[in-house]
Amino acid sequence: MLKRFRLEEPESVKEASDLLGRHGESARIYAGGTELLLAMKEGLIHYERLVNIKKIRNLDQVKLDDGVIHIGALATHRQLACSDILQERLSAFVRMEQNVANIRVREVGTLGGNLSFAEPHADPGTLLLVLGSKLIAEKASSKREIPVEKFFVDAYETCLEEDEILTAVEAPLLPPRSSVAYLKFGYLERPSVGVALFLVLDGGGRSIADARVAVGCAGPRPKRVEEAEALLKGIGLKEASRAVEKAGEIAGHASEAISDLHGSKDYKEHIVQVLLKRAFHQALGQSQSGGKDQGGLRG
Amino acid sequence: MHFEREIEIKNSREKVWKFLWDVDRFITCVPGCREANTVEAGKSYTATMVEKVGPFRVEFPLQIEVVESQELSHIKARASGSDGKVGSRMKVELDVHLKDNGQATVLSLGLNVDILGKLATLGHSIIKRKADQAMEEFAQAIKNRLEGVS
Amino acid sequence: MAKVMSRRAEGQLIPISLTVNGALYEIEVEPNELLLDVIRDRLGLTGAKRSCDVQVCGACTLLLDGRPVSSCTLLAFEARDREVLTIEGLAAQNGKLHPLQEAFIEHGGFQCGFCTPGMILTAKTLLDENPNPTEEEIIQFMQGNICRCTGYKKIIESITAAAKKIKASSSRT
Repeated sequence: MLKRFRLEEPESVKEASDLLGRHGESARIYAGGTELLLAMKEGLIHYERLVNIKKIRNLDQVKLDDGVIHIGALATHRQLACSDILQERLSAFVRMEQNVANIRVREVGTLGGNLSFAEPHADPGTLLLVLGSKLIAEKASSKREIPVEKFFVDAYETCLEEDEILTAVEAPLLPPRSSVAYLKFGYLERPSVGVALFLVLDGGGRSIADARVAVGCAGPRPKRVEEAEALLKGIGLKEASRAVEKAGEIAGHASEAISDLHGSKDYKEHIVQVLLKRAFHQALGQSQSGGKDQGGLRG
Repeated sequence: MHFEREIEIKNSREKVWKFLWDVDRFITCVPGCREANTVEAGKSYTATMVEKVGPFRVEFPLQIEVVESQELSHIKARASGSDGKVGSRMKVELDVHLKDNGQATVLSLGLNVDILGKLATLGHSIIKRKADQAMEEFAQAIKNRLEGVS
Repeated sequence: MAKVMSRRAEGQLIPISLTVNGALYEIEVEPNELLLDVIRDRLGLTGAKRSCDVQVCGACTLLLDGRPVSSCTLLAFEARDREVLTIEGLAAQNGKLHPLQEAFIEHGGFQCGFCTPGMILTAKTLLDENPNPTEEEIIQFMQGNICRCTGYKKIIESITAAAKKIKASSSRT
C-alpha cells in the first residue's frame, strides 16, 4: 500500500516549479504515475508531496510548427499512438508508442513521465536519441532546451534540476530519403533490449548519407553509438549491409549491458547486433518502398 | 554476486595489514560505508552501508564478524544486515589475502554479495553495476591512502 | 469530517464525485488511496481483483470513461468526475448479460474466473472500437491481460463469438 502523502495541484508551470523548489527532495512531479506509484507502492521511495501537473493546461498537445514536431510532455502514450500528425510525419514514433508497456499503462502513462523517470527498460528515449530531438525543461522563470543526448545521465537519473519540469519534446521533421526503425526485444514485462536506427540515403538512393544508431534497455541509460554510425556512413548500400554486422557488434559492446534477470551480458550484446541488422533492413525496405513501413516492432 | 580483485599497493605488508584493522581509516576507503564501530577488536564490528541510485536510497546496518585471521596474510569475514524500509537483506562474505610480490604488497579480495528480498528482483542489474563501481573506487582509495597520495 | 494526522503528511481528504456503473457516488478519498481499494472495499464491487499489483496482469482492469486502466496503480481521486465501469455494471438493468458475458459462458472462456472481469472489460473496449476484429487483432489487443488457466484459445473464441452476437443483434435493430 501507499504511504500517506500530500497532493498539490498547481495550475501553472511556475506554481509547480515553486513547489519543487520549496520542498526539494521530499516532493516530486506526478502525472500518470505509472512508474512513480509502482516504486512508491513497493516502498522503494517515498515522497511527502506529489505535485499533480495534470491541471496545467496545454501540456499534452502534438503540434507541427515551422518544421518542428512539438509533443507536450503530458501526452499519454495512447494519445501519441493515435496522433494523426505523428502518424503522418513520424510513423516510427507512433509504432513505438503503440507498443509501450501494455494498453492500460499507455492509457495513463505520459511521455514526459517516462522520460523523466529514466527507467532503463523503456522505449521512447532510445528512439528520440536518433531523431535529433530536444527536451524542453521549464522552471518558474526560465526555459531551456536540452539535447536528448545530454538528458539521460544514469539509471533513474536525468539532467533535470530539482525544480525543473519537462514540458515538451521536440523533433525536427524527417529529411527526404530518410527512414527510421525502432526494434525491441523482451520476454519480461519490460523490454530487455531496444535499438533505434535513422538512415538518410543520398540523392541517388544508393548510398548512406547519414546514420544514427542508439541502444537502450540493456544498459543503465539509452545512448547513441557514434562508432557504429561511422561504419555505416558514406558507403554504398551493399557495403553497408555487410558492415551492419560489425556495427551491431560495436553497438552491443557500447550498450553497457550487464548480466541480470533480463539476460546475460553476452546475450544482450548479441541481441543488439541482431536488432540492428533487422532495423537496417526494415529501414531500407521503407525507403525503397517509398515510405511504407514493413515488418513488426518486435525484432 | 561474486567479485574478485587484486590490488597492488606500494607499501609494506605490515603497513597494509595495520591499515585493514584501523577501522576509522579503513572505512574511508569503502564507498557507502558510514559509521563503523568496533564491538570487539579483531572479532566483531558494525557498520552502515548506504547507497543511492537516482531517487532510490538503501541503508543496510551491518553486523560484521571476523571468521578467521592469520597475521599479515589472511582475513575471512562475514557481514549481514536488513533494510526494513525496503524489505531486503544483504549478506557479504569477504576473503582477503596479502602477499609480497617483491616490489609491492598484493591485496587479493574475494567478495560474495547476496541481496535478498524486493531489491534483488527489482534492482538486480543496478546493484551489480554499483558493486562493480564500488570495488573500483575501493581499490583506488586504498592505493591512494597507502601510497602516500592522500 | 474526521482528520487523521500522521507525523509527516497531515490527513488530506479530497471530495470527489464519480459515476460507477451508472450510479453517482460522492465520497472523500485520501490522496494515497488506490482506485482498486475504493471500488472493492468501499463500494463493495469485488469483480476487479488485486493480482500482480504491478499493473502487468490486467486482473484489476476497470474502464475509466470507456478505457481500460490498472486500478491497482491508479490513485482513486483520478476517477473524479469520470465514469467507471466494472464487470458488475456490464449486464443490463434487467439482468440480461452482455454478449461478451454470454459468449464467455457459452464458449468456456474462463476456468477459475480470476482474470475474467479484466478480460471481458478489455474485450468490450476492443469491440467498441473495432466491432469486427480479426483473430490477430484480438490477440494484439488483449496482450496485456494474463490468464493462467485457459491457454487463451477459448478466450479468443469467446470474443470472436461475442463480436458476431453484437453484429447480429445490431443488424436486427
